[in-house]
Amino acid sequence: MGVVASYLKDIKDTVASTFEGMSITFSHLMRRPMTIQYPDKIPVPIQETLPHRYRGILEVDLDICTGCLACERDCPITCITIGIEMNKETKQRYFSHFDIDVCKCMYCGLCSEACPTGAIRHSQEFEGASYNPAGLVRHFAPQAQNLYKPKKGGETEPKLITKVDIGQKYLDEFATPDGGGAAEEG
Amino acid sequence: MTDTAPAQGFFTEDMTISVGPQHPSTHGVLRFVVKTDGEVISEAIPDVGYLHRSIEKIGEKVTYHGYVPYTDRADYLAAMFANQAFCMAAEKLAGTEVTRRGEFCRVIACELNRLASHLISVGTFGQDIGAMTPFVHALRERETINNLMEEICGARLTYNYIRIGGVGYDILPETLAKITQFLDHFGPIVEEFNRLLSGNKIFIERLAGVAVVSKEDALSYNLVGPNLRGSGIKWDIRRDIPYSIYPELDFEVPVGTAQVGSLGDSYDRFWVRIREMQESVKILYQCLKMLPKGPAISKVPKKFRPPAGECYARVEAPRGDMGFYVVSDGSEYPYRVRIRTGSYTAMSIIDKLSKGIMVADLIALIGSLDVDAPEIDR
Amino acid sequence: MQAFIDQMIKDGAFAGVPREVVYAIAMVVTALVVLSVFVAPLAGVTSWLERRVWARMQSRVGPNRVGPQGILQWLADGIKNIMKEDIIPTAADQKLFPLAPYVVFMGFLCSFVVIPFGANLIVADLNIGILYLLAVTSLVVVGILMAGWASNNKWSLLGGMRSAAQIVSYEIPAGLSVLTVVFLAGTLSMQGIIRAQGWAPWDWFMFHNPFTFCAFFLFFTAALAEGNRTPFDIPEAESELVAGYVTEYSGMRFLFFFFAEWGNLYVIGSVATTLFMGGWQVPPVTDNPVLLGMLQFVTFFLKAYFWVFVAMWVRATLPRVRVDQLMALCWKYMVPLSFICMLGTIGFMFMDENGRRIFGALTLGFAIATIINFFRRVGFQFRAAKPELYWKPHI
Repeated sequence: MGVVASYLKDIKDTVASTFEGMSITFSHLMRRPMTIQYPDKIPVPIQETLPHRYRGILEVDLDICTGCLACERDCPITCITIGIEMNKETKQRYFSHFDIDVCKCMYCGLCSEACPTGAIRHSQEFEGASYNPAGLVRHFAPQAQNLYKPKKGGETEPKLITKVDIGQKYLDEFATPDGGGAAEEG
Repeated sequence: MTDTAPAQGFFTEDMTISVGPQHPSTHGVLRFVVKTDGEVISEAIPDVGYLHRSIEKIGEKVTYHGYVPYTDRADYLAAMFANQAFCMAAEKLAGTEVTRRGEFCRVIACELNRLASHLISVGTFGQDIGAMTPFVHALRERETINNLMEEICGARLTYNYIRIGGVGYDILPETLAKITQFLDHFGPIVEEFNRLLSGNKIFIERLAGVAVVSKEDALSYNLVGPNLRGSGIKWDIRRDIPYSIYPELDFEVPVGTAQVGSLGDSYDRFWVRIREMQESVKILYQCLKMLPKGPAISKVPKKFRPPAGECYARVEAPRGDMGFYVVSDGSEYPYRVRIRTGSYTAMSIIDKLSKGIMVADLIALIGSLDVDAPEIDR
Repeated sequence: MQAFIDQMIKDGAFAGVPREVVYAIAMVVTALVVLSVFVAPLAGVTSWLERRVWARMQSRVGPNRVGPQGILQWLADGIKNIMKEDIIPTAADQKLFPLAPYVVFMGFLCSFVVIPFGANLIVADLNIGILYLLAVTSLVVVGILMAGWASNNKWSLLGGMRSAAQIVSYEIPAGLSVLTVVFLAGTLSMQGIIRAQGWAPWDWFMFHNPFTFCAFFLFFTAALAEGNRTPFDIPEAESELVAGYVTEYSGMRFLFFFFAEWGNLYVIGSVATTLFMGGWQVPPVTDNPVLLGMLQFVTFFLKAYFWVFVAMWVRATLPRVRVDQLMALCWKYMVPLSFICMLGTIGFMFMDENGRRIFGALTLGFAIATIINFFRRVGFQFRAAKPELYWKPHI
């Protein structure tokens, strides 16, 4: 290809590719933008649109926590501190503190997988900013609370039935070695 | 200090500039000490370590199960692959079998992550060259992938999805339908991206023949992944040291073909990534069709104690060959974890390639090698 | 403008005041009025529009909170920047560093003297109009070099030097394209060039013959390069030099550079309209001078703003060229082409009336075919990607 031919080809290629690029950007002017205009111009709060498995900030339902300390052991970054004391008169064990350091937490989900009742789980909350570091440690046992004893044959107390069900529903999401509902349907 | 044109009595000296660590287009926190004579570089020495987080040392303090979330952070743009490599190493040590559905779920998650990582790579590459629109388009597609990953495992960037023995969550049929929908939509988007950016004459002129890596150099400097394939060498761990279910899948391994400029220039490496995205889409379609029923994870003890020994497991991550070398001493904590990443070795070739090119080309070079600071420093 | 002041003096409006003082005060008042009423909001709204257009081309939204649809965003940016601390690095040149933004600003503001908004709406109809404009926009080079040098920063110096080389080189294709039009019009004065054209597209210089059509695109590209706009925005290449010659600037001084850039966009659009698109010419629909003046103003503004939109559109689409490629583009491609266009146009002036009409019609037909082809391509993009449509500009 001679010098003049390649010179003209360069000009033609530049003009053609610019033309093509400009048609693509012009077509984008008339497409819906993908921005979600959080927090004020959205139809429903974002928390309700997140999937059920979303690993947001941890929450603990102390009413169904058995105090087995499996979550504290399994946490790879030691952000959970649980204190269990024994009441000398009634011989009843109770929580003295259940603190989760939310800024240390890796949001890996290993603690919620280890929990037998699903008391500790990830919520859909993600707005956890605080003005001081102390605000980032969540205290889930503000006053002393007795440990939960799971009853054989299912829970009978009506207040706790829903809580146990919610916890169990959260645990059902994890994959188990004996298959699972999704594998049967899919 | 070099004297150029001494015959005229001019005194000139090289300028020493520091590109980074705060710079919009070193990918992550990297620093290059660059000596230039006006616009032409005479030396570019990388200075790494700004993002070192002692991930390898942490491996000695946590259990095998607990270490998997840390592997996410070894390269947070391609977190699934680090998860998989570590889990493969642990499974090899303990002799654990992975369920078939688990393998397929792993491949689906990994190939989706490969798409996400390559989208960022080509998007930021375009941004470094000056085209700001394709970057946002690539990120828009990546948002859909992030949403899919959120549905599968609950997290958007650091997944902790691939566990020892399989995967942490099963993929539900609704999610499979959404993945298919996304793939149908994504194929034409890649072609539109090509029409906007890859076919643009200015883009081609910026990259053709720039920072050519010959085959011998690529092998002797130990480049891996798209950097190696861009120079024409057909080496892909999924093909050559197969793992998981890749032997059953039908896909091509794209190599650079010098379609503009010379073989092994920046455009070839970029083009290999675009083609890899298209191949990943093919792999995903096959996986979705072939997905078997069954459990997604096999039985693994809570206190995972592999017998004493050592093993090395490698996967084809988006930035190349990622290897985990795990030494076990029989206890539930690893004795030593060593991570081998592609970006670390890619840094070594930058000094050689940068002699005689301009500052703008250095930026194109770093972008085309797709180096990633968390991978380099761990 | 001068005639107006002279008339007022004759009517005895400024009794006892020396003539020179009246002129001086009139100049200052005019400059202030033009600056605050027209230029400042124009540059501001251009910045807002650029961000919105850019964002919609990238599937984003852009600023839409401050004021209706975000139209007061520039005001918020301006107030924020004025309130910022004025940092002058100790190692910087203490006299040149603060001065540089004002020199750049001056370079672009002086060009407003000859922009013709209407038949009588021009500050001063110099008979060397377009030459004055080309000369004055070169003042920007001095300002940029000052900024790069005074910052005492190697990155800024690189940016300043690149910019100087770029602007000086691209003066030549711009000047040659302008010469093409000046040959056709026979005068350097802006109003004269406009009066040599008509209001209909086939009377514009752009479609006069194929060579002026080429010259228009050469002029537009060269003007983009002069204004440091992508694909020629190497001096302020964010991803390479942090911010080029403005790296050390903060607060209002930083904003001045960008203010000048957006305002310069409008100047480029105005000059393109004046030279090639018939300026303020409108079909003779009314005799009322006020209405006619307003119509001319609106027509000119819309035509100029269309080219501002095209400049933003090009910025969103194209990547950056490298510095040596920029020079090669100028000297190897644009200068020879500009010469060819100029000589071709001179050749056309010797052609007879019918021949010229045929070629003019052919050029116009080619332009219309290109526009139709463009929209067909846009339709193809929609069919290929099948996106969700959203036609409304407000969101």
